[in-house]
Amino acid sequence: MSNPTLPPMPSERLLDLRDVQVGFATRDGRVAAVNSVTYHVDRGEVLGIVGESGSGKSVTVRAIMRLLAKNAVEGAGGSIRFNPDGDRELLLSAEHKNSRLMREIRGGRIGMIFQEPMTALSPVHTVGTQIMRTVMLHRKCGRTEARARAVELLGKVQLPNPEEMVDRYPHQMSGGMRQRAMIALALCCDPVLLIADEPTTALDVTTEAQILDLLKSLQDELGMAIIFITHNFGVVADIADRVAVMYLGRIVETGSVDDIFYAPKHPYTQALLQSIPRLGQARVRRLKTIRGSVPDPYNVPKGCPFHTRCDFADAALCGTELPPRKAFAGDQSALCHFAGELREAGQ
Amino acid sequence: MSVLPAEAMPAEVLVRVEGLSKHFGVKTGSGQALLRAVDDVSFDIRKGETFGLVGESGSGKSTVARLMLRAYRLTAGRVLFRLSDGTVADISALDDRAMRPIRREMQMIFQDPYSSLNPRMTLRDLIGEPMSVHGATRAEIDARVAELLACVGLRPEYAGRYPHAFSGGQRQRIGIARALALSPALIAADEAVSALDVSVAAQNINLLQDLQEQFDLTYLFITHDLGMVEHISNRIAVMYLGRIVELGETEEIFARPMHPYTEALLGAVPQPDPRKRRSGRRQVLKGEVPSAVNPPSGCAFHPRCPYATERCAAELPALREVGGRQVRCHFAEELALQGVEA
Ligand SMILES: Nc1ncnc2c1ncn2[C@@H]1O[C@H](COP(=O)(O)OP(=O)(O)OP(=O)(O)O)[C@@H](O)[C@H]1O
Ligand SMILES: Nc1ncnc2c1ncn2[C@@H]1O[C@H](COP(=O)(O)OP(=O)(O)OP(=O)(O)O)[C@@H](O)[C@H]1O
Ligand SMILES: [Mg+2]
Ligand SMILES: [Mg+2]
Repeated sequence: MSNPTLPPMPSERLLDLRDVQVGFATRDGRVAAVNSVTYHVDRGEVLGIVGESGSGKSVTVRAIMRLLAKNAVEGAGGSIRFNPDGDRELLLSAEHKNSRLMREIRGGRIGMIFQEPMTALSPVHTVGTQIMRTVMLHRKCGRTEARARAVELLGKVQLPNPEEMVDRYPHQMSGGMRQRAMIALALCCDPVLLIADEPTTALDVTTEAQILDLLKSLQDELGMAIIFITHNFGVVADIADRVAVMYLGRIVETGSVDDIFYAPKHPYTQALLQSIPRLGQARVRRLKTIRGSVPDPYNVPKGCPFHTRCDFADAALCGTELPPRKAFAGDQSALCHFAGELREAGQ
Repeated sequence: MSVLPAEAMPAEVLVRVEGLSKHFGVKTGSGQALLRAVDDVSFDIRKGETFGLVGESGSGKSTVARLMLRAYRLTAGRVLFRLSDGTVADISALDDRAMRPIRREMQMIFQDPYSSLNPRMTLRDLIGEPMSVHGATRAEIDARVAELLACVGLRPEYAGRYPHAFSGGQRQRIGIARALALSPALIAADEAVSALDVSVAAQNINLLQDLQEQFDLTYLFITHDLGMVEHISNRIAVMYLGRIVELGETEEIFARPMHPYTEALLGAVPQPDPRKRRSGRRQVLKGEVPSAVNPPSGCAFHPRCPYATERCAAELPALREVGGRQVRCHFAEELALQGVEA
């Protein structure tokens, strides 16, 4: 079912989030985890989402998958729309966790990879059994066909000897191998959208490079779109077409990967880019830092969420008024009163 | 007794590790086997420097640190440590009792600030504990805890709080304050900022550098973040499967690696620069780290090395001096390997 108050999604649009709000009721009060988050993913593109720990990256994608915790409270004004095949807009935000549609979509049209593969893979079943189950559920096929598909997928993610790997338990594999098995599981029903939540954070640089290459080649081959969550700017630069930067539950800037790296408009994006040590850079004594720390999500500051740490903040304006989203060429936008007026401190 | 004269090692050396090995007995499908976690590792750490240890997961970095701080018994080798009075102790030969006064001079900060801090202790007790073990009075401890909290950028009023009230980056600082409590000469930081966000990691790295200057500290810095290691370390050792494969000045190694494994590691780092990805130079190392129970013959890196020859499969290269650094590769002189472009 589609929502009559929203303009129809353009045909290239796969996923569209508008004004998504998620809070959590806790003993200590209400945490505003996700505030008016708006972003979209077009068919076949990679959207990178970066931002500090606790900024709401995972909660937003859990809202898409309808996998929010029991104490979550969603704002009524938000919408999450998904158009998997170009001919039907599904209003995911109206679905319950266990609705028939969501059970079909999860593991079907949307695949998901988690940061820690051990939480997603069951330790008591072989990886083959786990892939076969999902395949049988979504494709309504028999065991023999499902097993053949499992072997094919394990080969596709470049695990050596897939015929043998299919009977392995997760604990009999290395971290990198488990992450590949997890990717095979996420891909088993040819998803149009893959959500990858920090899929390489726990891995070595060498294994990380292998997994990033694998995802890129699979994306080329299968034409799927990816939401790639990470806090590593190197990884984003390597894989994303567009980037969304989150801070304290808000998207503070979005744009093409080049605009974000070479012409960032938001002071937070600029500051983050300056705080990473870069390989081969002339040695500097001190890294640039952002003063203070991320405010407590129970007490989000008034006005601009970043003003307490911003070098350009005007207390009268930034401390009282939430900035408008300022739009720039090439679909770049920033949530800052002074965006476009600041010196662009990219590279 | 194992106290050696001051001349046992050059004056600028604080710690010398010689032929360090650690083998673990592990169960395999077919019975017991020997896992060579660390094999014949030797290096010096100079006073006041930051010595970086890099390598893939399982290469033996943490084991080296634990052996150095005597958290594990050595299988072979020795560790010499220069005490504050200038004498040199062979700490591998000391019993626990003799080790106690020396232990305060070497401290460790861990990766996981959550599990390494007892949740039922206040900051005052956490940070003050090492001092009370060494017999300080209550008032001394209170004053020192306040001073240490200020040093690491936390408010002295926080002394009565419990660790759960702090963020990951702040907990890491609590760990740093605790490590500083006994005025150590050496701090081993094992993935101390790896779990932190970029901006929090940057704050804590700056803090570590400030403290190094202020207290004349020497660091052993273990990380898999090559950008960070390049930023903070004067010299580095690259480990592969329990052995050092390259050791030297950070800048020189990053500019022109001499071991193919170092080249592969540097090449794998995703750089925060989208233009570099389009230039497509990145080479991805194939295959997995082999098992330390059943390491490959010859050079342990040969099955993954693009330059390997028959000789590499047959003959273990020695760690040798080449152009001011140490390299464990038969072809170190002939290969022109790619470093990091500025
Ligand atoms: N079930 C819950 N109850 C209460 N608060 C929650 C719950 N789940 C998440 N939160 C809070 O919501 C905020 C956003 O969390 P989220 O997991 O989305 O962060 P993130 O950006 O994914 O961070 P990280 O990089 O650490 O994974 C955090 O402040 C978190 O503590
Ligand atoms: N107590 C132990 N018993 C048996 N094997 C061990 C023990 N501690 C470490 N090992 C093994 O020794 C090898 C080196 O481990 P170590 O933890 O030193 O690696 P590392 O370089 O620190 O890796 P990481 O980057 O994952 O921390 C690994 O193969 C590991 O499995
Ligand atoms: Mg998350
Ligand atoms: Mg380790």
